[in-house]
Amino acid sequence: MKKILIVDDEAVVRNYVRRALASRGFDVEEAAGGGEALAKLAAGAYDALICDLKMPDMRGEEVIKKAAALRPGMKLIVITGSVSDVPDPVAPGVKADGCLIKPFGIGEIRDLVASLLPA
Amino acid sequence: MSYKANILVVDDEEALQELITAALTRLGYRVTCASDGAAGVEKVRAERFDLAIMDIMMPGMDGITALGEIKKLDPELEVIMATGHGTMGTAVQSLRKGAFDYLHKPFQVSQLAAVVERALEKRKFNDIARAIFSTIKPDELPRIIIDSAMRILKADEAFLAVAGRDGRLAMDLAEGLDSPEMAAARLELCRRAGPRLAAGGAVTLIENPAEDKVFAGIPGTEGIKASLLLPLRDGDTLAGLIGINRRQSGEYYGENDLQQARLFGSLVNLSFRNAKLYRQLQETQGQLVQAEKMSALGQLAGGLAHEINNPLSGILGLTQLVLENTEKDSQNYKDLKDIESSVFRCKKIITSLLSFARQEKTRLEPVSVNEVLEETLTLCARQMELKHIKIERAFGEALPMVNADFQQLMQVFLNILTNARDAMPDGGVITITTSLARDAAGRETVSASVADTGPGIPQELLGRVFDPFFTTKPVGKGTGLGLSVCAGIVQRHNGAIRAESGPRGSVFTVTLPV
Repeated sequence: MKKILIVDDEAVVRNYVRRALASRGFDVEEAAGGGEALAKLAAGAYDALICDLKMPDMRGEEVIKKAAALRPGMKLIVITGSVSDVPDPVAPGVKADGCLIKPFGIGEIRDLVASLLPA
Repeated sequence: MSYKANILVVDDEEALQELITAALTRLGYRVTCASDGAAGVEKVRAERFDLAIMDIMMPGMDGITALGEIKKLDPELEVIMATGHGTMGTAVQSLRKGAFDYLHKPFQVSQLAAVVERALEKRKFNDIARAIFSTIKPDELPRIIIDSAMRILKADEAFLAVAGRDGRLAMDLAEGLDSPEMAAARLELCRRAGPRLAAGGAVTLIENPAEDKVFAGIPGTEGIKASLLLPLRDGDTLAGLIGINRRQSGEYYGENDLQQARLFGSLVNLSFRNAKLYRQLQETQGQLVQAEKMSALGQLAGGLAHEINNPLSGILGLTQLVLENTEKDSQNYKDLKDIESSVFRCKKIITSLLSFARQEKTRLEPVSVNEVLEETLTLCARQMELKHIKIERAFGEALPMVNADFQQLMQVFLNILTNARDAMPDGGVITITTSLARDAAGRETVSASVADTGPGIPQELLGRVFDPFFTTKPVGKGTGLGLSVCAGIVQRHNGAIRAESGPRGSVFTVTLPV
């Protein structure tokens, strides 16, 4: 079972993203901030990271940069509230594999994950 | 009883008080006396005077001190100083303190009369000027001008006629003209007097117009004894006219009246120029306020959008999750679908709000307006076809390039074209014209206008089409931000955008400096 980590300080977003993907057969775990996310990444491997950019404890760019170093080859998906927020590349030398602008529906996140993590 | 002016005499010599009082009363003035400076000041505090005649050397408060006190109470009150022992020094000192003039005792009654008359003349001039310049609000000005004209020139009727766009004079305000027919007849008189006005400088005097064949056949001219016509000019063109008439019961205008009329005319011209400047100032202020509002709104919108998108994302995602577990033909399913589409609507609004808030940097490069229009038309050609809208191109040839941001200009034209399309749900014609023009400042510009054949925009709404969130489209169809975004873009290009509308459709014109 493919493992995905969703990082967002908004519980409601984590909730529906997890359930949308869980019903498609993914094993989804949640982290409410950058620190929690990096701890989970250090403890175990994930196939994809879905990460918000604007979080109180740490910027998403920072999380993604460290995550990429920690788990090379892991798919990186940025989710954010504003298209103008998305830096390209997300961090120096780190390119995101996908990006969704909130509000996005369950179909969009399923399609994106499915295209990045084919069965 | 009526009197010519109200005069205060301050002198400690009773004999002189009596002499001056007798002389001035005979000349038709009303006179009040006081015996020293302090008493004089008290009189001024209690009553309104047109003029004061004051001795310099008096027991108690002397004349120079009293002059200062009086000017503090009523700066407009003219004061003539009188002294028997006056040296040039005290006279000059009193003039510096604001006295109008001084009289050496002993003086002749004729000298007194002359200086009093001059002082009152000045007072009258000040009154005219103060009245005319008491307002710079264009809509209050005509009333003040007509009232002053009636009073100052002792007229039986006065009117202000203003030239319209076609140059024809129309009555703006009249006093003493009882019927529209009479007003029309007076206007006709002004029109026929046109050549004289052109030649006549500041004031044109017409006496007994009924005996002048130029004015033959105009009803009511026999009632006029003398007419003064004061032209109002805006540069070289006649912007209007003040007519000041005395009827047969009155007297002919004298040299003194003509002088006053000339003065009055030049002051009125000045005040109209002020009013025009005031209007321009207000417009500029309005634009500044608008720009300020836009920028504040932009910042607010940017932050707001971000905050709203998170919960909105939750609403959308959870709604869709519940939808997956709901019977398709149930009421719940329909309701959830409505929630979902409401979220999409919010998303659309926020997206336009953000594009409005972003205030992207404008990258200027030489751009052909015709090319931008062609590109934009390529984008929307299919939509236009579907809505049975014909595109007519009237592109100017060999137009100079303008400094512009190609993408942003496309956004502007796309918006205008989309609005034109939406204005014609049953089809129609969009005419796009480009040409070389000059703006008010004389700069060379390229102007592009988009005219539709829709129902037009009501005049009362026309001024608001560039306001953010103003829309006439049905709820959910427009955010009301499109044109305000356009206006922002055009402004950043140092250009101008304007909307005109009539029963045959609307025209949006964008002008960009070359």
